[in-house]
Amino acid sequence: MSDAEKHAAAAADTEAQEEVVESPDVQFTPVVKLSDVVVKTHEEDEDAIFKMRAKLYRFDTEGKEWKERGTGDVKLLKHKETGKVRVLMRRDKTLKVCANHYITEDMVLSPNVGSDRSWVWNVAADLVDNEAERQLLAIRFGSSENASKFKEAFDAARESNKALAGAKPKVEDKAEDKAETKTETKSEEDKAEAKTEDDKKD
Amino acid sequence: MATAGEVQVPKFKLVLVGDGGTGKTTFVKRHLSGEFEKKYIATIGVEVHPLQFETNKGSLVFNTWDTAGQEKFGGLRDGYYIQGQCAIIMFDVTSRITYKNVPNWHRDLVRVCENIPIVLCGNKVDIKERKVKAKTITFHRKKNLQYYDISAKSNYNFEKPFLWLARKLTGEPDLEFVAAPALQPPEVQVDDNLMMQYSKEIEDAMAMPLPEEDDDL
Repeated sequence: MSDAEKHAAAAADTEAQEEVVESPDVQFTPVVKLSDVVVKTHEEDEDAIFKMRAKLYRFDTEGKEWKERGTGDVKLLKHKETGKVRVLMRRDKTLKVCANHYITEDMVLSPNVGSDRSWVWNVAADLVDNEAERQLLAIRFGSSENASKFKEAFDAARESNKALAGAKPKVEDKAEDKAETKTETKSEEDKAEAKTEDDKKD
Repeated sequence: MATAGEVQVPKFKLVLVGDGGTGKTTFVKRHLSGEFEKKYIATIGVEVHPLQFETNKGSLVFNTWDTAGQEKFGGLRDGYYIQGQCAIIMFDVTSRITYKNVPNWHRDLVRVCENIPIVLCGNKVDIKERKVKAKTITFHRKKNLQYYDISAKSNYNFEKPFLWLARKLTGEPDLEFVAAPALQPPEVQVDDNLMMQYSKEIEDAMAMPLPEEDDDL
């Protein structure tokens, strides 16, 4: 049980001091038949180098107000091969993605007025619900200490991502997923075949 | 036949009813974007939102028909219920009248949709002055509904209605929500021109305090 639940449950208990509302056990005829599937999280090739509970907001630039985006664990994920680091956050319980973007050179964590445990930053392309969107995000932690830890990890990741991009411009090829790599290998094979044919002609 | 990449995602029509102001739209928005809307804007007619969930049995979509609770904005009532496969009836635990009206919503619903799984939700349990006490909530027992205390504000039990409906609709009592796929995001660098544009907005954002809720962090 999360703290949130405990909190709400405690609040409900103290107020009501009654037994949990029981529900009858009812059966229905299922309308679909499903079987077990393994859902890929796409985190399989990454290591979580940072993980902490936080609350995320997005800035509505028109209405000039903050809108909640989700509460859950924010993670910094480092790819095992490319070494690139992204921010990934999922909401509690439903585990839906509420933030998903690489940490790029232009990303600076700025404080939010009057808070010592929040950061604001701009994201050119945040991939949520299969749509990459520009977002102005803010994140709040339980304490200023935790907020500092996040900043430390975030800043380090920005520098390492920057170094990767600078040092090895070809690293992006490696980052492509396996399907892409396969196609490439295949096209190289095609080329090889074509070459053999050319050779034959010669 | 569909190939592996484009498996048909099961879709269910969910009808969401209850008195005006009980938090139906806020509940839907919470699931859609994570936001918690404080302003009350009465829903007119109906708004349909697809709510997708990832489970250990694959993806599911609840096409959620968020209906007007206020009589004067009700519109086509029966039309909204047709071919409903599941439902949520919502009331506000801080308002007795909204619980008193639950039997009316239930009657209207089952007149059109016979024998569908229905969840009764008592919303706003985060508020201290609860008026509808747990022991007085009995309607669901007579009518075979599932009941949950929920809070769209604190997220208490907010996933439970969908989880229960998903289990009943699939006949899979072991169905659970699982981590949704998080594809690799595109890499986009902001150029200086665009950054200039953004800098004003970033300043605005920095100067706008975050809503200070009692935190569950």
